[in-house]
Amino acid sequence: MDESLLFDNIHVAYDKADVLSGVSMEVRPRTITCLLGANGAGKSTLIRALFGLTPPRRGSIIFNETDITGLPTHRIVGMGIACIPEGRRIFPKMTVHENLLMGAYQERSQAKIRSTLDRVYTLFPRLAERRSQLAGTMSGGEQAMVSVGRGLMHEPRLIVIDEPSLGLSPALVNENFRIIRRICEEGVAVFLVEQNVRQTLAISSYGYVLSQGKVVASGTAESLKNDVQVQKAYFG
Amino acid sequence: MEMELLLQFCINGLMLGMMYALVAVGFTLFFGVLDVIVFSHGDTVMIGSFSGLSMYWWVNAYYPAMPAAGTAFLVVLAAVSVVVLLGMGVADAVIVPLRKAPALNTLLATMMLGTVLRESIRLFFPDGSNPHPFPGLLPDWSWRSSQLTLRFDNLALFCSGALIIALVHFIINRTRLGLAIRAVAQDEEAAKLMGVNFRLVVLATFAMGAGVAAFAGVMNGIYYNEITFGVGLLLGAIGFSAAVIGGLGNVFGAILGGFIFAFLQTIGAVAMPFAAAYKDVFAFGVVIALLAWRPTGLIAEPASKRV
Ligand SMILES: Nc1ncnc2c1ncn2[C@@H]1O[C@H](COP(=O)(O)OP(=O)(O)OP(=O)(O)O)[C@@H](O)[C@H]1O
Ligand SMILES: [Mg+2]
Repeated sequence: MDESLLFDNIHVAYDKADVLSGVSMEVRPRTITCLLGANGAGKSTLIRALFGLTPPRRGSIIFNETDITGLPTHRIVGMGIACIPEGRRIFPKMTVHENLLMGAYQERSQAKIRSTLDRVYTLFPRLAERRSQLAGTMSGGEQAMVSVGRGLMHEPRLIVIDEPSLGLSPALVNENFRIIRRICEEGVAVFLVEQNVRQTLAISSYGYVLSQGKVVASGTAESLKNDVQVQKAYFG
Repeated sequence: MEMELLLQFCINGLMLGMMYALVAVGFTLFFGVLDVIVFSHGDTVMIGSFSGLSMYWWVNAYYPAMPAAGTAFLVVLAAVSVVVLLGMGVADAVIVPLRKAPALNTLLATMMLGTVLRESIRLFFPDGSNPHPFPGLLPDWSWRSSQLTLRFDNLALFCSGALIIALVHFIINRTRLGLAIRAVAQDEEAAKLMGVNFRLVVLATFAMGAGVAAFAGVMNGIYYNEITFGVGLLLGAIGFSAAVIGGLGNVFGAILGGFIFAFLQTIGAVAMPFAAAYKDVFAFGVVIALLAWRPTGLIAEPASKRV
């Protein structure tokens, strides 16, 4: 069974403006694949298309050899794809604990939910301490932990992470990268959107560079480190 | 004024307050989850009354020997099932399709829907344009002194209402469905990304709000012993005001708002015994003043105003 995620010739437009025009890429199982690109390149839009929040106008998205284009979001999530969305999007008026439970929303086995909870609380002891605090009253860094922890609660086959370290201190950013690598080592495919080019390429095996809605470069992380398109995208 | 008369006013006020609270809960749920004001909600209550009445007639015609408790159960069951189906139908046919439209369009659509419901009863229900007597349903035991009457049916209705509110509270705060409802209320897209079936949650919310309203409809019929096709207009306006007073989107606030409104009506009636008809004018007047004072409702929730 091929658990790859394939984007094939994806076109997305908000209202009239074309944001993605003909994007094709592949996220292989058990690897970290990163998506780089300047602000407004269309990275988050591609993720919205993947989850059916902004369905593509043309093209198809295949996961696990199944066409998931245009399925309702909960069905896509049900195939084992988790999302740590841009801007964290935690539920501010729920407790930390409830936020984590939301991550395991589709899991029916209480025993399984408990063991995943234990794992997440071990990974983020801070969340365990604050499990009954309202998530909206947590600090920015703590909210990032809630968002990451919530994503892990899915026990996904593939996890899509959109700028998890935005606004975090260097120490927390490093912590985040360590966790992402660990997720991958546990056999989960990671599709990572990040602004920290150097660190991102260091943990990824493959990468794509998006510019104005098109893939302008792709290759192994090693080869992208010195790619001119990467330089252009981030350093002008 | 004598103590007992005052007590009588209080009892009536509590009854009305419970009824308004049940209606307001629907307004606040729908707003919390979908950011919509469903103006036809009051008329949904009225449909509940008429469904209950139809069931009563049917039982009387075909099973006149049915014990009173059985009849009461069937009447409530009929009211709740019809209204729950209606609520889910409205959600699926009107509210969800209009999600992306400007809020004003939804407002207009639900207002027109309310008119359609009212006119349908007026035109198609037997003798629909006239008031219909509503059966008492419950045994008319009562305890009375010179001026005070404590009716068993009032007590039973009040306790059932409280139970229903407790049930809603339990569902929202202690169940998986409730977790999903709160998630959708706080961040619809994030809830979807967690795997929540959005359409199902919306239908469940509307079913819940409508079911609670149906009970208010039966309660209204029993309390006034009479129903008309237009009863939903005032009930809707009152339920909506109550929800707004309590801070739209806040279930506890809606309940509080319901009782505050009934309290205001009661004060109006006590203070102006010569003009009982003005009690609504008085109550609505105070509501307007309250809103001028606290525009987001009495229960302030600075960050967000959701369930
Ligand atoms: N809802 C929307 N309506 C209209 N245009 C939008 C909408 N969302 C995004 N866009 C536009 O689409 C383009 C791509 O946005 P997107 O969020 O995908 O960028 P991004 O690559 O994720 O950028 P960043 O690194 O800043 O997060 C931008 O020009 C943006 O203005
Ligand atoms: Mg983005």
